[in-house]
Amino acid sequence: MSFLVLRELKKTYGDFVAVEALSLDVQRGEFISLLGPSGCGKTTTLQMVAGFVEPTGGAILLDGHDLVAMKPSRRGLGVVFQSYALFPHMTAAENVAFGLEMQKVGRAERDERVRNALELVGLGGFAERYPRRMSGGQQQRVALARALVIRPHVLLLDEPLSNLDAKLREEMQIELRQIQRTVGTTTILVTHDQSEAMALSDRIVVMNGGRVEQIAAPQEAYERPATPFVAGFLGKTNELSGTARVEGGETRVVIADGRWASRRPIDGAVIASVRPEKIAFADCAAGRLTGLVKTRIFQGNHWLYRIETLAGQVFVIRQNGGEPMPAENDKVGLTWRPEDMALRAADGRR
Amino acid sequence: MTRNGPLALLYHALFVVFMLAPIVIVCIVAFTPEGYLSLPTHGLSLRWFRTIAQYPEFIRAFWVSIWLGALSSAIALSLSVPAALAIARYRFKGRDALATLFMSPLMIPPVVLGIAFLRFFSLVGLGGTFVGLVLSHVVIVFPFALRLTLASAVGMDRAIEQAAVSLGASDWTVFRRVTLPLILPGLVSGWALAFIQSFDEVTMTVFVAAPGTETLPVRMFLYIQDNIDPLVTSVSASVIALTAIALVALDRLYGLERLLAGRGINEP
Ligand SMILES: Nc1ncnc2c1ncn2[C@@H]1O[C@H](COP(=O)(O)OP(=O)(O)O)[C@@H](O)[C@H]1O
Ligand SMILES: [Mg+2]
Repeated sequence: MSFLVLRELKKTYGDFVAVEALSLDVQRGEFISLLGPSGCGKTTTLQMVAGFVEPTGGAILLDGHDLVAMKPSRRGLGVVFQSYALFPHMTAAENVAFGLEMQKVGRAERDERVRNALELVGLGGFAERYPRRMSGGQQQRVALARALVIRPHVLLLDEPLSNLDAKLREEMQIELRQIQRTVGTTTILVTHDQSEAMALSDRIVVMNGGRVEQIAAPQEAYERPATPFVAGFLGKTNELSGTARVEGGETRVVIADGRWASRRPIDGAVIASVRPEKIAFADCAAGRLTGLVKTRIFQGNHWLYRIETLAGQVFVIRQNGGEPMPAENDKVGLTWRPEDMALRAADGRR
Repeated sequence: MTRNGPLALLYHALFVVFMLAPIVIVCIVAFTPEGYLSLPTHGLSLRWFRTIAQYPEFIRAFWVSIWLGALSSAIALSLSVPAALAIARYRFKGRDALATLFMSPLMIPPVVLGIAFLRFFSLVGLGGTFVGLVLSHVVIVFPFALRLTLASAVGMDRAIEQAAVSLGASDWTVFRRVTLPLILPGLVSGWALAFIQSFDEVTMTVFVAAPGTETLPVRMFLYIQDNIDPLVTSVSASVIALTAIALVALDRLYGLERLLAGRGINEP
């Protein structure tokens, strides 16, 4: 049995369903992200695990024990809040020591563990600082140290990096990942930032409107999104209408003037979803989707193209490798490997 | 910040003069050598300050006022904490009605309250006692204590308490180690405001107080009904001086702006 199990977890406010029958198995040591747009029920889910929101239905099991029946103060979970929620009247060291005091850890061991926890998050020299004298990033680290020092069964992080500026956020992502690997604590992170979820997690739970859309490893969810919502939420994608016909063990896919052979048995009107970075330029040979370069934007390490084709506009991202690239108003052919194209029936069947 | 125009400056200046003039005049008159209320035209004298010593009932009334203010404010404050936390945090049936009830002493004319307390206390045998006086002042100052306690309870991030809970703290520990320290600035301000209200109250207190439990304002009020000598001005000037000393001390210790705004020691 998995370490942490959410089974058919549900929360309603009156008629409004905030979280609908969410089931999730988390392995020991795993890093899971709950990813979705604002209001999709991520925080509610996390708060049900932490014990601050009571589930309307379903069960939460930690190592086989029922968590719902347990008081929040007895659950032994480390929580990092979006606002950090540090105790403003205590120094960094006192903040971190609080949980150990509650566990009645002896003075000497407590000091030792507080010092180690602050070292771990790179705040060795800040023990006597008050939170108001610290930057957002430093407060964030104190909050992390405070949650980790009690050696929690599970670490719960609610948008911990969203109040930091872009550069610091990236640094903290790398650091967070490294700390989690070092300590090995099972972690659930809530975020609306798909790149953050993909950078940090072993698996992502993509949520939308209180429902789970897909649970998968980041690369899998990105390459093989289970629903159009997942495809759209995990980065840019092109959605192209076409037709498919099964012919002698193979599926022939036609998108405007382009043709592909696919292994996916599907018939009739289809939508093909292709990531912009999977599309390559080629000459305008017969059977190839052709188009006109409308705009070309240089973005340092890559080029962003908008191409007008018979199937509608197509975005293409090409690495900036130094070689000559098509210019605006050039006529180009577009190719991609059949396996880079996710096909689904146009009428919504999968 | 925008600068004030000349008209606005004039307005502010006039306002300050209007506020301060009575206080300044009382303080000047207190130094008159004459036997009647007058501005000291030839020379200053401490005559009327020395006279206070001949009226021990003024000194006693002063201490009654101090104890009454301190006690009733403290009691009102300790009652206001659970009330404020409940109103700030929970949506329950009758929440608005309860909040209105707590604020209602502000809306009842003090004369009406005074007569009501007079009747009530004599019925239950508390007429003219210090206990009765304290109870009546608890009612009068409670809305002020609640106001500031409520403001700090509403302004507090619930996540801070949840963080303490997640770290294993019991309800009582959370209250003692986290909630109370965080709302403390509001409590101190609430106590100070309540104390001032109690010290200041005459209209209702006149009905409730009896000889021996008269507060300073009541004693002064009764005195000027029979006498028109400058004694009340010297008493007033003494109270003003004590207030000023207390304010300076508070400012040194704590920061006056913080106190009056009910802001936390932890905020910049
Ligand atoms: N106490 C509450 N009462 C009513 N609705 C709530 C409450 N808490 C959250 N909601 C609603 O539940 C939905 C999910 O909220 P939340 O879990 O905070 O979303 P997010 O994914 O942004 O963290 C939102 O639409 C929110 O308005
Ligand atoms: Mg949220």
